[in-house]
Amino acid sequence: MNRHIFVLVLLSTLLAAGCASQKTDVMKKKGIGLKVSKLPSAHSPLIAFRILFGSGTINEPAGKEGIAAITASVMAQGGTGEMSYNDVVQALYPMAANIGQQINKEVTVFTGNVHVDHLEEFYDIFSNLILNPRWDESDFKRIVDQHSNYIKNTLRSNDDENLGKAALNLFMYEGHPYVRRGPGTVKSLEALTIEDLKAYAAANYTQDNLVIGIAGGYPDGFIDRIRADFSVLAKDAPAVVDLPEPNPISGIEVMIVKKPNDGAAISIGAPIAVTRSDKDFYALMIANSYLGEHRTFNGKLMNHMREDRGLNYGDYSYIENFVQDGGSTFPVPNIPRRQQFFSIWIRPVAHENALFSLKQAVRELDMLVTDGISEEDFETTRKYLLNYSKLWVQTASRRLGYVMDSDWYGTEYFIDKIEKELALLTREDVNAAVKKYLQSKNLKVAIVTEEAEKVRDLLLSGEKTPIVYQAGNTPQELLDEDKFIESYDLGINADALKIVEAEDLFEG
Amino acid sequence: MGNSKSFTRALLVMLTISIFLFTGEIRGEEKIFQYPITTGTLANGLNVVSVEFDSPGLIAFYTIVRTGSRNEIEPGKSGFAHFFEHMMFRGTDKYSSEDYNNVLKAVGADHNAFTSDDITAYHSLSSSGALEAIIQIESDRFQNLKYDEEDFKKEAGAVLGEYRKSITSPFLPLIEKLRDTAYETHTYKHTTIGFLADIEDMPNQYEHSLFFFDTYYRPENCTILVVGDVDHSNLMALAEKYYGNWERGPGQPEIPQEGAQTEEKRAHLTWENPTLPIMAIGYHGPPFSDTEIDMPALDLLSQLAFSQSSPLYRKLVIEEQLVDFVQGSAFDRRDATMFTIFTRVKDPANVEMVEQEIYKAIEETKTVLADEERLNSIKSHLKYSFAMGLNSPKSVAGTLGHYIGLTGDPETVNRLYKLYDSVTAEDIRNAANKYFSVENRTVVTLSNDGGE
Repeated sequence: MNRHIFVLVLLSTLLAAGCASQKTDVMKKKGIGLKVSKLPSAHSPLIAFRILFGSGTINEPAGKEGIAAITASVMAQGGTGEMSYNDVVQALYPMAANIGQQINKEVTVFTGNVHVDHLEEFYDIFSNLILNPRWDESDFKRIVDQHSNYIKNTLRSNDDENLGKAALNLFMYEGHPYVRRGPGTVKSLEALTIEDLKAYAAANYTQDNLVIGIAGGYPDGFIDRIRADFSVLAKDAPAVVDLPEPNPISGIEVMIVKKPNDGAAISIGAPIAVTRSDKDFYALMIANSYLGEHRTFNGKLMNHMREDRGLNYGDYSYIENFVQDGGSTFPVPNIPRRQQFFSIWIRPVAHENALFSLKQAVRELDMLVTDGISEEDFETTRKYLLNYSKLWVQTASRRLGYVMDSDWYGTEYFIDKIEKELALLTREDVNAAVKKYLQSKNLKVAIVTEEAEKVRDLLLSGEKTPIVYQAGNTPQELLDEDKFIESYDLGINADALKIVEAEDLFEG
Repeated sequence: MGNSKSFTRALLVMLTISIFLFTGEIRGEEKIFQYPITTGTLANGLNVVSVEFDSPGLIAFYTIVRTGSRNEIEPGKSGFAHFFEHMMFRGTDKYSSEDYNNVLKAVGADHNAFTSDDITAYHSLSSSGALEAIIQIESDRFQNLKYDEEDFKKEAGAVLGEYRKSITSPFLPLIEKLRDTAYETHTYKHTTIGFLADIEDMPNQYEHSLFFFDTYYRPENCTILVVGDVDHSNLMALAEKYYGNWERGPGQPEIPQEGAQTEEKRAHLTWENPTLPIMAIGYHGPPFSDTEIDMPALDLLSQLAFSQSSPLYRKLVIEEQLVDFVQGSAFDRRDATMFTIFTRVKDPANVEMVEQEIYKAIEETKTVLADEERLNSIKSHLKYSFAMGLNSPKSVAGTLGHYIGLTGDPETVNRLYKLYDSVTAEDIRNAANKYFSVENRTVVTLSNDGGE
């Protein structure tokens, strides 16, 4: 069998438009056609599919929050015209093949992975799930129940870290299309019907809104077959959803989410007008890695908060939306956005140290903005990222995703782009980008805590919030710095400060 | 629908399914693990294993310590192996924690560690050119770890933070309760992260940490595993150079084994936050073995009775939609493990009915022989799951490291899958009858409605 190493088929590219501040021309290309790239790893018997539609939660009709996720899930975790969901499960089982779906703000991706021994049988099922879904009432009920229960019994009650992130998104994007998240709301899910799903699929899962990605050892002619099969979809893409500028933030705006818990989960963020398609993004990558590279000990946040003070398990920062891929330290591909945001994630801290931690994180950001990065830190961080970024694409499926994302952003292959751009940067470039895009004075903060009123009162009073060490004699140097941190003036916007009950979030 | 026995799954880590270097059909008579494994042992007992994998310029470097929460035999010391994993990043005289991290940062490595019931693993992924630099810093900390009491106490805060993030989910207390109730003697009585009271007391255990390092972080208890673009003779030379002077340890304390359970145990937890009722049903089972048939038979039984392809799943999840998930399996463990069924019930009124449905499915495994077609389908699933899970040097190292952790021998993986091939319907029925008795059962339920 002649095995192609890697092929990305673009039946068309995404139509997208952005706000004036975004360089979105690159996202409006049409008809690139067949594109072939090669991976250095030969003899792959695995086939990875990524079927991407350029619609996500921002394309949901008013009052139909959650429909993007429910539609994709009922298709991917349901049946075909000929096969019930159970038939699909039974057929895939001996192959150990898997089918999944991933929904984000701007795109929806159907993923499939199969060993080449089963390609024909698998593709027949996989393609039919998308092209000829069963729309079974029983599948619909099962999926809606899953999503509704996730909101009511997991997100709002038993997953404080993700609740903090979800609350930050809600707070940061009030009145903006990005306010919508995958699961929807309890009430909107209750109102959905199968007919709604069919209408959403018909409007959004179209040829002009489609990118087909495939990687691995598939036979000659397979691409032509996929192209022919998917040409049964309607042609025209849905209208582009315009993105307004996110609401300006005035001071430190805090949303306190009240629920019983053993520690406070904190998320901090602010929209930034920079994406992978901008040159400055690559300068910010260095600054961000220096401040808080995800799940490493490289960042100042991690070292000063966890390592020096034992405040919590981890503290990281991001310059774009980040969703961890399983148990790895790398982000999932195919979650592109025309507008991005900067964020800091403080993993749960003891209630008594919640505000000290918040102050320390904001102060670390402030020091980065004010002082910039030193020449030595610039060089070591740049070198690190040049090597580290190569690890993000170890598998064909991940590399395929990154190639597709690069096309979405209108750049060359992202990993190559990092290498090229980082080589050209200077410390001054990085510090200039930090000054241009990052700041510590106007931020949204979500705090998930059972001590809501106490946190509110402390924030409003401006009182010192000293750290309480679990044990031990802390070096004087740290104690001296603690004095600055406990009194750090956050600049709280009292008018914007609010307490919400967790059980009221994502209700209607 | 992955292999529930996989290393990463056992650690609650989802692998991205990907490639497997493969030269023909998967057949029982062939070795399941088809990459070349080369092994060596230093005079001090340190095992060195390398696997050539087609990842030009990349290597995964694992140090597997065959010590985990299983070894926490002293009262009040639960969670210590995991805590000690944290301490291993606190530096030496030669390389402070900052120096250590700077070396890894300079080569752009992705590095971390994890602890389980049976092992502690330290792993990195980096360019193959960084091999010596990594061996240099790893060998140094494994022989010369040094931290003061203040560092030790600070790290206790990070571990408490880790517990704090995990305890927001009801599954941690559920599993804590299940193990605490089911086990009387064995250290599997506690989870890897340990009991909260013990974690809170960790800052006071500095002296015990010195004993722990001295006892368990010894060459005869460790394996160096390198997967990817690696030359074994070069690896052995570097291992000899940097680990050669590492001294053997004083020996390890015995781990008290669990006696037979003689009556059913039940417990209930009331959860403060909203949750659907969750149930865990556990049966004491066998230890992992690559020679005995019981565990492989139970692995096939778990697929037969509790996988997505099972009649129980079809009934409870797809057709009647009484639960949003149901799963059952026994994790590989060095000592007698538990076969555990977990389910989450959508309506509290149906908890008892769901429990009875699970027992019906179990009774069926004790009385009805699985047909040949179904067995073949399960065996195919296990093999293709395995094949598709080996997608990178890291996943290969993780998988092989799992079996090295269990037996010390990388060939275990091939022996196990050969056993899978040989499992018969009678073997499954025998295992079901041997382990799935009422008196061997522990049931824990969790809900926020005030109990059963």
